[in-house]
Amino acid sequence: MITALDIFLVAAALLVLGAGFWVRSAPWRAGRPEDRPGDWSGLLTYLLSHRAILRRGGRGTAHLLAFWGVLIPLAVIILAQFRFLMPSGLSLGLSLLLDILGFLALAGTLFFLGHSVRSSETGGPRRSLPPLLILVFILVTGFLAEGTRLRIDPPEVLWASPVGWLTSSLVPGSPLFMQLMIRSHFFAVLLLVAMLPFTFFRHLAAASLNVVYKNRNPKGALNPTRLGDETPGARTVRDFTWKQLLEAEACVACGRCEAACPASLSGKPLSPRKIMGDILNQMEGSRSRTDDQIPLLEESVSDDEIWSCTTCLACVEQCPVFVEPADKIMDLRRYRVMGRGKIPREAVPLIRNLELYGDAHGKGAAHRLDWVFDREVPVAGDRGSGIPLLLWVGCAAAFHPRIGETGRALLKILQAGGQDFTILGPEEICCGDPARRLGEEALFLELARKNLERFRRYQVREIVTLCPHCYNTLKNEYPRVAADFFPDDGPVPQVFHATEYFLSLLEAKRLAPAFPYKKKVALHDACYLGRINGVLDPPRKLLRSLPGVQLTELERNARDGFCCGGGGGRMWLPEHQGRRINHLRAEEFVRSGAEVLATACPYCLIMLEDGVHSVQAESPPRVADVVELVARSLR
Amino acid sequence: MHIIVCLKQIVYTYARTGFDPDRQFLAPEDEIICVNRHDEAALELALRVKDTIDNTRVTLLTLGPLMAENELRRCLALGADRLCRIDLEGELDPWAKARVMAPFIREMRADLIFCGKESLDRRNGQVGALLARELGLPFVSAVSGLTPSKDGLEMRVERSAGRGTREIIACPLPALFTVEWGSAEPRFPAYPDKIKARSLPIEILTWEGEKPPPRLIQRRVFPPRPRPKNIPAPDSRLSASERIRQLLAGSRMEKKGLMLTGTPESQVEGILSFLRDHDFLGLKTREKDKKENGN
Repeated sequence: MITALDIFLVAAALLVLGAGFWVRSAPWRAGRPEDRPGDWSGLLTYLLSHRAILRRGGRGTAHLLAFWGVLIPLAVIILAQFRFLMPSGLSLGLSLLLDILGFLALAGTLFFLGHSVRSSETGGPRRSLPPLLILVFILVTGFLAEGTRLRIDPPEVLWASPVGWLTSSLVPGSPLFMQLMIRSHFFAVLLLVAMLPFTFFRHLAAASLNVVYKNRNPKGALNPTRLGDETPGARTVRDFTWKQLLEAEACVACGRCEAACPASLSGKPLSPRKIMGDILNQMEGSRSRTDDQIPLLEESVSDDEIWSCTTCLACVEQCPVFVEPADKIMDLRRYRVMGRGKIPREAVPLIRNLELYGDAHGKGAAHRLDWVFDREVPVAGDRGSGIPLLLWVGCAAAFHPRIGETGRALLKILQAGGQDFTILGPEEICCGDPARRLGEEALFLELARKNLERFRRYQVREIVTLCPHCYNTLKNEYPRVAADFFPDDGPVPQVFHATEYFLSLLEAKRLAPAFPYKKKVALHDACYLGRINGVLDPPRKLLRSLPGVQLTELERNARDGFCCGGGGGRMWLPEHQGRRINHLRAEEFVRSGAEVLATACPYCLIMLEDGVHSVQAESPPRVADVVELVARSLR
Repeated sequence: MHIIVCLKQIVYTYARTGFDPDRQFLAPEDEIICVNRHDEAALELALRVKDTIDNTRVTLLTLGPLMAENELRRCLALGADRLCRIDLEGELDPWAKARVMAPFIREMRADLIFCGKESLDRRNGQVGALLARELGLPFVSAVSGLTPSKDGLEMRVERSAGRGTREIIACPLPALFTVEWGSAEPRFPAYPDKIKARSLPIEILTWEGEKPPPRLIQRRVFPPRPRPKNIPAPDSRLSASERIRQLLAGSRMEKKGLMLTGTPESQVEGILSFLRDHDFLGLKTREKDKKENGN
């Protein structure tokens, strides 16, 4: 029976819940404005399928059970308080469903409880212990109450409440005990509801909101930062937008990011989870302080941490609630580089080369065409406007002696496929990816503007790139830059990666791989191609099309691929902490037993060739670009 | 304390990829406009003094038409206070440069003057020394570190005397120091400083009167041979002089030969058909002979 006191208590619990969430959300609601469309139906499908959460089997299943096993019975029991008639068949079915769901929820909760008890990390699963204990108490008292009810008043059909029937043999048949159980069950529910905003369980709200407002832009496109008079990047937590702060609130510190992060796995001081935790701590700690009093982010996040990131976005891929730690790391870098002028000294020559020569190697426009040797390649300057297909060579192919080979293989395929392509030659400058990933946003914008001006001048329609980093920048980041600089223009050129483009040639029967390559080839997915841009099939299909090639997969492949250690400007930085990331990947390749390591990225090629030679110094296996293997088998 | 750093804007030739000996094998993209690197190192040492002594002003001084504005403003953003340019057109030899700059520097009353060791375009390496002579100041070259004395009247100067030898010199102020690239790693400018430097005025100092007469007269310049490039062999059908010219220019040559790729079998097939087509095997000749003999 519901008494007036009960109604009062329910109202009080709901009031505490609402007020708690209001107070909790104040810090992130005060974040800088950002325009983000929400998608509530997306949340529903997300919760129904639980797909992102289920990617980690055991814990994912436990979450699914605990979530629906609590939510559905809760809804049914609340509805049952309103008296209405129900056909007895339906009510029996519901009773059975509730029993089963409650039991599964208990199993899931106990799984998490065990996980929580075993964990010794302070910032990790341990903090979920108090609310989990209450939840277990709720479920157990619920079943005990049901068991007592069945003992006192045995029903006609037993199958409708199997768990209750089991517990009924364990409990005394006293009405007093039943009342005690029902009351404590009820109070514990109210306690949990009132506690929600203040415990780990607040992720129910924060994570759900984060799912609603998840990032729908291309994953590889960095958000622009404020330039002009304001400090760029993030100096304190107040420089983050509300969405970035909401992510800190939504993070449940499950550690999936850490388990996939190449920096964490190779023993570097970076952990994406810790970054999110640091932001949350500072956000909570700076609640009632003025702007000069709040701590700087660099007090909790060290230089070594932010410079360890390879921007491979494995953390973003793994996060079950769409938190993006890489985005925060980028803002920290931007503040440190642009706001403070603090950049690793090894990166300074790179930035200067980009400023003075316009390429990452400091060789200059005069040497941009050296790599073609005696090949006849049409150059835009000689050809004039109206270019149907631009081959974007990239600094690596133009200047790195090893990648020059890949570039020449690319030329061979394009010519074999009868393609009418053009290169910019001396007019090409760096796409700006290294500058941007190192935090030099202004330099990136300048390089991007110059390149976009050239695309306009020559009326480029399609671009094919060799390097996935150029590909990502041209495809995902240039449209936004172009919209700022040339708002009246039409769309920017369409961008393809070489493997995508060659696959289309192959499917149109314009390429005919003929010479066999009888090798066991393992494919290393470049982060900026596979995970970030979803180009997973083209390199695989190209390799399978080569006669004799036996394609195998590495342990971590496709979207879960492991970084080579060269992205995010790391190519130019020393790696003196922990183990080398490229060695870890090379060891994984050697374990796979394949003879040839294929990849589709110049950075990966350089890093992995180096890694393979270090790991297996005697007769090192071949590391090749997919493009090279395709070119090899053409007549 | 007032420090003046002399910066030279240069056209730096980093490659010779042109084909024309008359234009010294220079192509338009072979040059970049920048601030002399040694001067950047000098600026860094000046800024380090500014970091240690309060109330220090750093003035940047450049001579000639404005070419490398962005780079000069970047130097300003590193921590300098003023940027002055002596407006004087035309070529000047080191003597004339020192004569032009000296009165302006004297007027600015500097306690310390920094110059780069030499410029990367001309490499005379004389302006610093001649300027010290014009001003009548002590001159120390190859400076790599500075510590001011307590009374501020003296500097303990660390200089590299070559082959790793280091010297410590006590030098009274005012003085003129030259610095070499590599002895001080320049700092990195913060973005807000760059924005600020963008809006600072470039003060123009005008040279009144006659241009000082040159004492060094350049008679002739021999351009360097372009650096050899990785190119295929020149076409043997060209004349020797033509081939040498192409090699000197490091030209990109078209390969006239036919390259065979593929399996050994297909390559053999290709060679045979090539020999047959050009009748290197003498098959056609033999047939012809047969016919003629038969007749």
